Amino acid sequence: MKFYKDHYDVIVIGGALAGLSSALMLADKGKDVLVLERHNLPGGIASSFVRGGIEIEAALHEMMSIGAKDNRLKVGKFFDDMGVDIEWLKVPEAYHASFPGVEVTLHPGLERFAKEVDGVVPGTYEKVLKLLNLCHTVFDSVNELSIHPMSKAKMLVKHEAFVKTAGYSTQEVIDTFDLPKKAQELLAPYWIYVGSGFSELPFTIFAVLMADYIGYGSYIPRKFSHEMSLKMAERAEAMGVQIEYRQHVDKILVRDGKAYGVRTARGDEIYADYVISSSYPNKVYTSMIEPASEVPQKAIKMVNARRMSLTAFSVIMILDQPAAALNINDYSIFRGETMNTDILYNNLAGLGPYRYLTCICHNYGNPTCTPEGTCSFSVTVLPQVNGWKTVTAEEYDAVKHRVAKQVIDDMSDYFGANLLDHVLEIVIETPMTVSRYTNAWNGCIYGYAHTMEDHIVARLQTAEEESIIKHLEFSGAHAISGDGMGPQVTNGRKAAKNVLDAMAAEEARK
Amino acid sequence: MKVKGFLKDVTGASRVTKARLNAFESASATPETVDPIAEVVKQWHPGKLDLIVSEVRAVSKTAKTIRFEKVSGGKLPFFYAGQFIVLDFQIGESIISRPYSISSAPYQARLDKGFVEITVRRSRGDGFIADYINDTVKVGDTFKGLIGCGQFYYEPLRDAKHVVALAGGVGITPFASMAKEIAGGTLDMDLTILYGSVSSDDIIMKEELEAIRSDKVHIVHVLSGDEADWQGEKGFLTAELIKKYSADDTTYFICGPQAMYMFLREELKKLNAPLRRIRFEVFGQAKDITTFAGYPAEVKDQTFKLTVRRGIHEDVIPAKATESLVVALERAGIRIDTGCRSGECGFCRTKILSGSVYVCPENDGRRAADKDFNYVHACAAYPTSDLTIKIPIE
Repeated sequence: MKFYKDHYDVIVIGGALAGLSSALMLADKGKDVLVLERHNLPGGIASSFVRGGIEIEAALHEMMSIGAKDNRLKVGKFFDDMGVDIEWLKVPEAYHASFPGVEVTLHPGLERFAKEVDGVVPGTYEKVLKLLNLCHTVFDSVNELSIHPMSKAKMLVKHEAFVKTAGYSTQEVIDTFDLPKKAQELLAPYWIYVGSGFSELPFTIFAVLMADYIGYGSYIPRKFSHEMSLKMAERAEAMGVQIEYRQHVDKILVRDGKAYGVRTARGDEIYADYVISSSYPNKVYTSMIEPASEVPQKAIKMVNARRMSLTAFSVIMILDQPAAALNINDYSIFRGETMNTDILYNNLAGLGPYRYLTCICHNYGNPTCTPEGTCSFSVTVLPQVNGWKTVTAEEYDAVKHRVAKQVIDDMSDYFGANLLDHVLEIVIETPMTVSRYTNAWNGCIYGYAHTMEDHIVARLQTAEEESIIKHLEFSGAHAISGDGMGPQVTNGRKAAKNVLDAMAAEEARK
Repeated sequence: MKVKGFLKDVTGASRVTKARLNAFESASATPETVDPIAEVVKQWHPGKLDLIVSEVRAVSKTAKTIRFEKVSGGKLPFFYAGQFIVLDFQIGESIISRPYSISSAPYQARLDKGFVEITVRRSRGDGFIADYINDTVKVGDTFKGLIGCGQFYYEPLRDAKHVVALAGGVGITPFASMAKEIAGGTLDMDLTILYGSVSSDDIIMKEELEAIRSDKVHIVHVLSGDEADWQGEKGFLTAELIKKYSADDTTYFICGPQAMYMFLREELKKLNAPLRRIRFEVFGQAKDITTFAGYPAEVKDQTFKLTVRRGIHEDVIPAKATESLVVALERAGIRIDTGCRSGECGFCRTKILSGSVYVCPENDGRRAADKDFNYVHACAAYPTSDLTIKIPIE
């Protein structure tokens, strides 16, 4: 039986947001694409599941870079351009920040946000707005430069703020604004997820995230992230892409330094001119390239040098009360014993007790997402992978339950309502869950940490020489734009663009 | 803005690039091939395993327990008491899988010579595989099995410490696993099993269960048939009887035949227990799909043309209106992954490319977006016209 064509233009390993974005863009340019996904549905962790008849969001807190219908940002525009018609619901707030001495709900809109910070720390409006505007200037530059690269000299003239802040950490730049500690802390809660405290986080990344999130707000699909993933997959298939589920790619076939196909766990050998891998470089270079002798030492040093970013531990519950009856009043609550991101980052190294919790009550973004009289509430910690790497199979269940209980108890204390008295359904997701469903290296959902040693600007400048095996591109959280669901679309497009450019160059040579 | 002075500021981009290249240069050249997170996953969810039957024993007049070990020996994966195994059977041309609640305890799977057991009762003429197991399976037979599926298990962060299990017939199996795990000291809960059987010689695993009674495991037999010398509880599992064995805060776990589910749904309402305290095991494949609300009776005697796409390959097979798509595929020897066969787990998620189906309303566990795009769980979908589907290549 013949399940595959003799040859494809491109094989994409992984049918999540990055892989599907690559597939969409390549199909849009008329390329013949095969997507191989190991799970039986698209999306990776951008998915949902059904428990007790209730559909539950698996991972998405919110999508950035979408923008309002008449003012789309790059991810929203890409979906529109590709004909991926998602029903977006606007998340009503930025976040509720809760740390010692502060309880405040902050909203998107640079001025509104600055005003709300000023409400907590009077006299900071001008400074905070100035900082946010700087973020926005850097954001605009990054967006423009990602489309139109230019010389350094020209960059300095047209994108001065971007160039001048590129070499500094978030803390170094924020320090120049002379903001009181409390105001700084109000800017901090969200960004720990990119895998660094402020002393290590490149300001460029902070600026882009801040401008996007605070400037334009965030969105969720009405029918959970599965709506987004499925609509991408359906659209890709309608454009001629072949997607095969439950196909685990074991090997990437390489000859003379150039990828030419893959082999699946089933034993199918499939050939293509190009391969795009959503599998981590760590996995690809240590066990997937065949023959292994095609992997240069440089590749191993490169993956060993990079720090894995954070992963996720989530307790997702359906509670048998409306949210307000349990004193849950916001879509997202960021609660920390401190908002010093460097202290928090260190706390994430272990297995708890965790001191910084991210909570989502889905109903405030999507009121009909659970049956009447119930609500969906999740508590998430974003631990470093190292702590979880020490957990054995024997103790796994006990650790998982201990951590889950800690985070639920902490939030119960905060709400003054024992959430454990109201659990209709509960699902505990760990790095192992991520690994089980996506095979992500170390169960890490966020690729490599953004640090001053692994700076996005540096990533961009050395991208070409890091392309070690020809005709093999990487697309996923481990790619240049890094972590988060929105950036996966960007990563996927970038990989597709590299393939298209290489195809065009080869065509020109002929 | 200015951080450290104009020159330093504008050379920042070059500085970070240099820092990154230096980090690459000084990194170790030894490949790190082991992913410890994935190693844990392998021990919990290794996928389908090659299993060998190491023991077959009768556990009632009509039921047998089959013990499986790993062909390669050693420990079997972790699972939760109450979960099921999916076993693959090759019978003639057909490749058929079936879920069976595991009746042994999780700790027994983790022994050096780990095992899992299933307990299967001979059918009353309608259970092809149940009879096959009772008549044919013997020590030394090999099967592929996926251990540890399903959501029917005690979750300490959700359930009351006091659990009343309502079991009917062979529905005792998940509770046998829980009881043995409690006896083994690895599950902390109080379990009272109200076990309904027709007659005393119909009781499955009677001696095994007697042996593990304790202050944490109570077993109450309830006979629906008339037996003159029976001293215990009689009749059905009524609200009144259930109440007698309940604590102030009790979680009810229910596993048994479909008729019992229908009866208990009404009885449990009378107890006014909160919804979160009531946990039904999956419904199982509909016995007679034509009896469900909205079933288009006019097609029930028809056989449709089912075009099955796998990759770029196509097969055309017959599909009876009263049999699920999974059954049609299995009859034709086309592999499809299945789990619960109750529409819940979604293993058999299938795209309907054209044509129409009826989805069993008891077993419609689909995601909302999947419904919009004509995906079905093939175990719960019945053809109502000729149709074309796409399934994964197995």
